[in-house]
Amino acid sequence: MATIADEFHAHSDGHVHDHHDHDHKPGFFARWFMSTNHKDIGTLYLIFAITAGIIGGAISGIMRAELAQPGIQYLGFFADLLGTKNPSFDQQLHLWNVLITAHGLIMVFFMVMPAIIGGFGNWFVPIMIGAPDMAFPRMNNISFWLTVAGFCSLLCSAFVPGGTGQGAGIGWTAYAPLSTSGSQGPAVDFAIFSLHLAGAGSIMGAINFITTIFNMRAPGMTLHKMPLFVWSVLVTAFLLLLALPVLAAAITMLLTDRNFHTTFFDAAGGGDPVLFQHLFWFFGHPEVYIMILPGFGIISQIVSTFSRKPVFGYLGMAYAMVAIGVVGFVVWAHHMYTTGLSEDVKMYFTTATMVIAVPTGIKIFSWIATMWGGSIRFASPMVWAIGFIFLFTVGGVTGVELANGGLDDNLQDTYYVVGHFHYVLSLGAVTSLFAGFYYWFPKMSGRWHSELLSYLHFAVFFVGVNMIFFPMHFLGMQGMPRRYPDFTPAYAYWNHIATIGYMVMAVSIGIWLINIIYAFTMGKKAEGNYWGEGATTLEWTLSSPPPFHQFETVPVIKDEDHH
Amino acid sequence: MASLTPPAPQNRNRRVAMIAAGVALGMAGLGYASVPLYRIFCQATGFGGTPQRASEAQAAGVKIAAGRMMSVRFDANVDPGMPWHFRPRQTTQTVAIGARTLAIFEAHNTSDKPITGAASFNVSPDEAARYFTKVACFCFTQQVLQPGQSVVMPVSYYVDPKILEDKDLKGLEQITLSYTFHRVPGA
Amino acid sequence: MILGEVSGAFGRRTLRLALNTLPGLALIAAGAVHAAADRLAVAPGGYTPMKPTPGKGMPVDGGLTFQTQYSPTGLEALWMHDNIVMTVLIATTAFVLGLLIWVMIRYNSRANPVPSKTSHNTLLEVIWTGIPVLILLVVFVPSMKLLAHQFKTPPKEALTIKAIGNQWYWTYAYPDNGEFEVTSNMLSHEEAVKRGEPPQLAADNRMVVPVGEPIRLQTTGADVIHSFAVPSLWFKLDAVPGRINEKVLFVKEPGVYYGQCSELCGARHGYMPIVVEALPRPQYNAWVLTHAGAKIDGAPEPAAAPAAAAPAAEAASGTEVAAAASSGE
Repeated sequence: MATIADEFHAHSDGHVHDHHDHDHKPGFFARWFMSTNHKDIGTLYLIFAITAGIIGGAISGIMRAELAQPGIQYLGFFADLLGTKNPSFDQQLHLWNVLITAHGLIMVFFMVMPAIIGGFGNWFVPIMIGAPDMAFPRMNNISFWLTVAGFCSLLCSAFVPGGTGQGAGIGWTAYAPLSTSGSQGPAVDFAIFSLHLAGAGSIMGAINFITTIFNMRAPGMTLHKMPLFVWSVLVTAFLLLLALPVLAAAITMLLTDRNFHTTFFDAAGGGDPVLFQHLFWFFGHPEVYIMILPGFGIISQIVSTFSRKPVFGYLGMAYAMVAIGVVGFVVWAHHMYTTGLSEDVKMYFTTATMVIAVPTGIKIFSWIATMWGGSIRFASPMVWAIGFIFLFTVGGVTGVELANGGLDDNLQDTYYVVGHFHYVLSLGAVTSLFAGFYYWFPKMSGRWHSELLSYLHFAVFFVGVNMIFFPMHFLGMQGMPRRYPDFTPAYAYWNHIATIGYMVMAVSIGIWLINIIYAFTMGKKAEGNYWGEGATTLEWTLSSPPPFHQFETVPVIKDEDHH
Repeated sequence: MASLTPPAPQNRNRRVAMIAAGVALGMAGLGYASVPLYRIFCQATGFGGTPQRASEAQAAGVKIAAGRMMSVRFDANVDPGMPWHFRPRQTTQTVAIGARTLAIFEAHNTSDKPITGAASFNVSPDEAARYFTKVACFCFTQQVLQPGQSVVMPVSYYVDPKILEDKDLKGLEQITLSYTFHRVPGA
Repeated sequence: MILGEVSGAFGRRTLRLALNTLPGLALIAAGAVHAAADRLAVAPGGYTPMKPTPGKGMPVDGGLTFQTQYSPTGLEALWMHDNIVMTVLIATTAFVLGLLIWVMIRYNSRANPVPSKTSHNTLLEVIWTGIPVLILLVVFVPSMKLLAHQFKTPPKEALTIKAIGNQWYWTYAYPDNGEFEVTSNMLSHEEAVKRGEPPQLAADNRMVVPVGEPIRLQTTGADVIHSFAVPSLWFKLDAVPGRINEKVLFVKEPGVYYGQCSELCGARHGYMPIVVEALPRPQYNAWVLTHAGAKIDGAPEPAAAPAAAAPAAEAASGTEVAAAASSGE
């Protein structure tokens, strides 16, 4: 990176802070519930994301258990547990739909997004650009609590009627008319409302990040000197700003279709259910880039740090992300190849979708070129980052297959799709999250995790997730549809393997939690720049953990032009 | 560049935030506007299999493409829970391209209550919808059937001769016109 | 090991494809010649449901690739997947993996203690933008061809079948065969096993179709969106309430082909299988005639009154004519 802040000029005369508490932290309640400090809010987001992730992961555990063999084994027990006494067969099956819906919504809106944007974004964007805090600290706080409120609303939906049984069983895609006339009862309203809340929080967060990055950069920190993680969050913030309001509009129309007799998506009143899919995926496709772009940014920082080289092709990397973001808005109907699109439309979306492979390829090759000629240290974040590059490549190439409208006819809505998007998200975004976690955890907490446990975590996780998701490609090609609680015995073999993989993966999460406990109880104190040479961004100029208020003297970025 | 202008950072922040919020509001507005825009887009381009409409006068001006025929298939559906029988009297018609033709659907209310229905419709294959033109149709308005009443529902249409110039539709031999009757709630 | 198995499957696939395609084409040509005569023939002996062939038209346990294809576009798509897309996928992944391993060995801190400071190479950047574009072009051309073939419209005399998705079963309407409808519900596990069919995939009544001729398959949904899918025919089309979708179905060989609903449609989404039974024309016609009021499609019928005259006659005879609003108002 080109950003070496090795000089601190005293500029404090022009920067009188509003804060009352320069030196001491507020009390517990004020600090964690009324927080306006970007690092504290980032920590809150991370704790929240870990909590939500464990719930979402437990849900997938129930799902994998049910899919371990043909037949319905566990749904009745869990339906009973959630309050449906003596559930009928249909109510058990409804619970399945509730589980897939909850898993999808939780992992997307309440795990990946809060962790990668809310958590790491909040923690490190202000620091990396040399800003004392976010532009709107109080709005930052509102964003976080709106996300929490959204999560609560989603949890509530599981305990109220949603049609055949309790909870919203509409899939995270919430296609009309299943989500309108197809699901009576307040559960779906709660689920929709939860997206409203989380969406509002994310839009505010996006506004906050855009303002912060545009206005609060330290002197000398030009746009083209920003670390790539900041670039990735900037592009992501714009995607959020443009995509989420469309989702908000679409689900508001769902809500009025459900409750106020409008017919936006109801053919009976002249509406079109397919229009909902267009609107949903106009949001939904950028959404997958919202989840992965900050991960790209994290990987760029890590690869550069541990290769002890500046990122190769910095500008290409930054503008590849912009290109992915832009093209991401014009490919949405590749999620709808079987809805009855015409030939020309399918040809267009096939072409546009394949184009995305080009900027993605630029990123992969640039990471490898960064490592090329470097002096690579295999610290745990680097191991995770290299794992990311490989796993994301696997997820990316299956995307080329799915991009083809003609091939997708046999893969749409099968486990091949499930395998594909878990490779880019569960193995892509989540791997980048763990990479970022091990990269920054000592910085955030001031204490060292165990590197040994981190390697072990990686090895077990890598084996586990590949065992879960690689066989899904085989299942999908053999024709197994997604969102099925039961299957013909011919799908048993690979499903069984996947369930074993889940257990392996669950062990790795246990190792990770033990690692966190280890760090807080026995971990060594971490110094400011514990990764040493190669770690050149501004967070490494601060102590670990950084002071409650950093950069009270504004850092000046020296022009060491590497480009 | 921006960071070189220190005065009044609060105002600069507010300005950027306002612009960003405006963009978000604009996108939300576009989300809502997409409903009428989508309808207009479909009507103009035939997207999603939306047939065209023409006035009597426009229809009268269409030249018949002599000897060029097109088979038209008719399909009728009724929402479940709507006590109507609804079917095309003719499964297919072979029409001269450009010639105005009448097709008949039959509907019967099997219940003892008056029931109002509205028909949704589309043309398949999608690309042919641009050329499939209705002049008069029962689907343009809601239909009320009294208890036990039977009616015939005519559609007057023609296939625009411009279809012969469309390379994508070379070799197209049959167009399907499909209707689905839905019960109008509260009517 | 898995890669090896996959590429082994490639070889077999390609061979089988080559063997299948030629007789298949001959069959289509022969079909055209005999169509007129055979089309109305009725096989004696009525209809008995065909026994499925194990492994044909259904998934196989531990399978690593697509089901064997029995439609021309399915064969083309499978060929494209096996020979073009998979080559690109495996080559790309292997290339990236190879590079990663190489840099990990060659440029680890022990092997290369002093890092270079190179952060640009315009030529390299142009190359890794350009070559993926070329590779994508290799995928692009056959993928456009495949789409064009999939969208080829059937002739006007093609048999039309309408598949209607309901919560949670399928109905199949045969408008050209006297408008009868077939309701198809999933068989219980025990019943399926008893009949020698795969559980979860078997249905009480099948969608019977003639083999070796293009069928205009139309889909619609009665309540929510469903999706009609048959993996061994490379066929999937959503059934959307309030509209009809259409696509050609062509089955090359007699057989039983299983599929499942492929759009989340509520509680029993996983319990509404699709069973397509393809029969030669005489047997198909025999099946058709087992339904009340059925007729063989394409059979001559008594001339009807010209449609245009009908409403007037109708009005005269007392049946009301609904108001047909004119566009020109």
